[in-house]
Amino acid sequence: MASPLSQSIIRLHEERHELEDYQGGVPRWCSGCGDNAILAAVQRLCRDENLAPEKTVFVSGIGCSSRFPHYMKTYGFHGIHGRAFPIAQGVKMARPDLHVFVNTGDGDCCSIGAAHWIHALRYNMNLTVILHDNHVYGLTKKQASPTSPVGLKSNTTPRGSVLEALNPLTVTLGVQNVSFVAQAVDWIPELMYDIVSKAFHHRGFSFIRVIQRCPEFLPKMFEPWLHDPGKTLLLTHDNGLRPSAELGRIYKNQRAHDPLDIHKAREIASEEDPIPVGILYQNPEVPCYEDLRGAGKPRTVEAVRKGLDAEFDKFTIWPDEDGRQRAA
Amino acid sequence: MDMAAKFQDQLVFHMTGRRSGEGLAPLDARSMRPALFAGYRDLAQLRHDFPLVLLEPGIADGFVASLTVLVNHALEELAPRGIEGERLRKHVLRLERELRHALGKGGPGQLSELWAAAAARLTSDTDESVSKILALAGRTIKVDGDLVDCDQALPSRFMIHAWRHVQSQKAALFHGHLDTLQRKLSDILRAAFVHSEAGQKPAALKAAVGGMHADDFDFAAMSRLVGKNAPKDELTPGRRKRIEWALTVLKSQRFHPSKLGTAQATHEFLFDNVAGAVAAYRDRLPQVVELVKAIAVAELETRNGYNEADHDPFFEAYDENSLSPDDFALFPDYLVCIPADRNDAPENAGLMDTLSSGLPVKVVVQVTDLLEEASLGTGHFAFGVRSARLATTAMGLGGMFVLQAAASSLYRMRHRVEAGMGARGPALFSIFAGAPEAAGDLPRYLTAAAAMESRAFPAFVYDAAGGENWATRFSLEHNRNPETDWPVEPFEYADEGLQRVRSEIAFTYADFALCDQRNAEHFAVVGRDRWTASMVPAAQWLALPEREAAERVPYLLAVDDKDVLHRVIVDMRMMQATRRCMLLWHRLQEHGGIHDSHAERLLAREKAAWEAQKNAEIEALRKSAATAAPASAEAAPAPGAPAAPAAAAAEAAPEEKVASDDPWIETARCPSCNECQIINPLMFAYNDNKQAYIKDANAGTFRQLVEAAETCQVAIIHPGKPRNPSEPGLDELIKRAEPFQ
Repeated sequence: MASPLSQSIIRLHEERHELEDYQGGVPRWCSGCGDNAILAAVQRLCRDENLAPEKTVFVSGIGCSSRFPHYMKTYGFHGIHGRAFPIAQGVKMARPDLHVFVNTGDGDCCSIGAAHWIHALRYNMNLTVILHDNHVYGLTKKQASPTSPVGLKSNTTPRGSVLEALNPLTVTLGVQNVSFVAQAVDWIPELMYDIVSKAFHHRGFSFIRVIQRCPEFLPKMFEPWLHDPGKTLLLTHDNGLRPSAELGRIYKNQRAHDPLDIHKAREIASEEDPIPVGILYQNPEVPCYEDLRGAGKPRTVEAVRKGLDAEFDKFTIWPDEDGRQRAA
Repeated sequence: MDMAAKFQDQLVFHMTGRRSGEGLAPLDARSMRPALFAGYRDLAQLRHDFPLVLLEPGIADGFVASLTVLVNHALEELAPRGIEGERLRKHVLRLERELRHALGKGGPGQLSELWAAAAARLTSDTDESVSKILALAGRTIKVDGDLVDCDQALPSRFMIHAWRHVQSQKAALFHGHLDTLQRKLSDILRAAFVHSEAGQKPAALKAAVGGMHADDFDFAAMSRLVGKNAPKDELTPGRRKRIEWALTVLKSQRFHPSKLGTAQATHEFLFDNVAGAVAAYRDRLPQVVELVKAIAVAELETRNGYNEADHDPFFEAYDENSLSPDDFALFPDYLVCIPADRNDAPENAGLMDTLSSGLPVKVVVQVTDLLEEASLGTGHFAFGVRSARLATTAMGLGGMFVLQAAASSLYRMRHRVEAGMGARGPALFSIFAGAPEAAGDLPRYLTAAAAMESRAFPAFVYDAAGGENWATRFSLEHNRNPETDWPVEPFEYADEGLQRVRSEIAFTYADFALCDQRNAEHFAVVGRDRWTASMVPAAQWLALPEREAAERVPYLLAVDDKDVLHRVIVDMRMMQATRRCMLLWHRLQEHGGIHDSHAERLLAREKAAWEAQKNAEIEALRKSAATAAPASAEAAPAPGAPAAPAAAAAEAAPEEKVASDDPWIETARCPSCNECQIINPLMFAYNDNKQAYIKDANAGTFRQLVEAAETCQVAIIHPGKPRNPSEPGLDELIKRAEPFQ
């Protein structure tokens, strides 16, 4: 809550930011990596929404994708493997006024961080989450990840992986309190931007799975989809994506899908070819955990001291007048 | 006496209001009532939405609940379905009836107390288990508050309670924000002190460590170490002054009551006259300006965003004229609850001016008489030219929230009332509380409901902030049958042969007027033996053509205190008032989009034009069919054929191809992967959206263009034709470039 007067004063003297203002270090991702497309879309979003860099935080775990905070000139937290969600939740709980983004990879999110992922969905805190899913552990030089397809030969599966790939969309859509699920592909920048923008404006846990190319370790994996627009299914709706006419001419395989329909969303999530791209599910009515728990109360010295005293008092022993002792 | 003579007497009464002959009896409104009221002799026996519980704050979401609904919920929770729960249901419903009776006799009181008292009365001579049942049911109702009936005091009590409910929500938000600001400002001051020279003196350090370990440290030495480079004061004098000033103003505000109860007495916002509220508003304006400024300064300071060069001049120029409705939304709204007999008092003469000036004032006007004589005298019905039409007049001013309702419908309109109390800017609530003693023993709930049903005091809501047009701002939804002239209700009675007769009867303004003894002279009771075919129900009579109406007499159906059905004929003056009421209702209907004359006229015109066009087309087809030769019919294109070339063109048109020898990039499809710029950063560059384009085709070689096209993951680089014919290896490069052209 801010008073109308201060809002108008702030607007009056607000600093406008250009795309370069959000550019941190030079990305060290491999040449042609799909992470660059995500970075470009997110930087565009920050510029278009004029997000104050000092009010914006990118939190990540470990992996190629998790270098993301280094390349944003905002606050960032390069966390530990699989733990991006609890860190981001903590940041949001203490500072609900910040814009908190999470960048995580298919290994970071769907393997070691899976428990945190499931519960973060259930908590539905107001975070914008991007799952960079390139189907492989790239930072450790080609190891099979939970989303690697059956038969993928990697350093950890030299005879080909034997397990069916985990589908992050069907998992998220099966968790209670899920409120926003979308899928993007790194090679359609217009839709990538639109989806990231929709996710940012959704109040709740906005989960975007981005299918991205790894030109270094899986250079051929998405070639059929890159060269045949018919293998991409655009989900369109007045409350979802409305692709431009130009894009519509290239990607003619479109289907109207109401993002409020979770049953249909689950059906679509199970489809792998053509790849569905768009907003699968969005329900703005799901409550956010920080609202339920009244987050963001300032912790003054007095408040902290009062809280500590209350806790200590539970274990304090006071002698009564007659010499007996009683527990608090 | 023949039938013609009987009708002649009735017609004379209808035309002149004078009774002649033996067949017409005077009306006693105290015993006679509209036929539709026959089933409502004793409201205390009937479960309906009254009485209401004005809920205590903090227990439930809303501010009011119906006793019937609360009891229903308690029974759903306690009483099992079927015969098992029957005993419990019977006792609890008996207690509910007892509460209605008690309320009629003893006046309002706390639900929990009245419940306990009623339970004690009912169980004094019964077994203990009943007492337990009633106590358990009482405990199951988790809310509490004053139990009120639809009486004269209801409108003001209900509206004040709704206003307090909305203000308490506003105050909670306000305090939450103010507390946060105060804490943050205090933290800034405290942090500055801790970092300062003074804060790092031995005594301050000792206080910071606390008592238990105070003797373990040498604070003088510690002070020498940590306080070596401490600043005298890290806050600039200007910033410190601003923060201290803002803190003082925030702490001493007198608009919303402090949660701690330590602030000075808060301002009163509840008034019984407009002049008092306006005077208070003017007196407090300087304080409003100061508090708005202090909040804004505090917010800027907590963001460390106060810029003296920009903001000092702004705040210096900020005065009463700078306040916006958004600023006033932070403060409590003024509530003016005008007593029923003070609507025309001098202190309320400025009502319309106040409403139209946009002040944050909510005004409640209570109307008690809709059948008053015109101020001009002459026996004409004023029919609401004064207070009863206030809401319609206010609606004409625009820019505010207006609600008109009868007291009986306040519960059903509670969400609208709450919205109006929370609306920004002024609001007017015009409430009909039921007629005074002239209505005899008719319950006030029925009088109020009759006023609304008869269109004498229709319910409507106008919310200026509700949207961009009348369709979203104005609503008649709370009226029964809003699309018809009068509401129509099913009615059953036994005829002389004790056979059941079913019919439907309309409830008109004349029916409402019949309840009031002052109008008795406009009605005459006709004995059953004198009923004629020339008598028509009043609602039908109004719809007759003038010539036909002149030969008929309008009547109403009424019942006496023994529930015997009578026909009551109505004189011309009352029918004129009824017609006027109907015309005013028509105007409201048009506002609400019902029988909108503009829309209907447009529809008729469009329909006529459409029909004319279709007729012309049919005629043309007939003519062409008559003259067409069989040979030409064979040559005629198949249906839909003319559209085909257009469709083909539409299909072809979008496929834009850049036919150029120049190299180009499909920039919109670029995923920003940077590969082309690695090959030649002078030739390829990013646009504002970080997507690649060819910055300078001459800054590199054709080979680089071809390599960029080959490495581009999404194949969006088109190398064009070589610019330098002497570039080595051109033949091979042109071949490699072919897939990308």
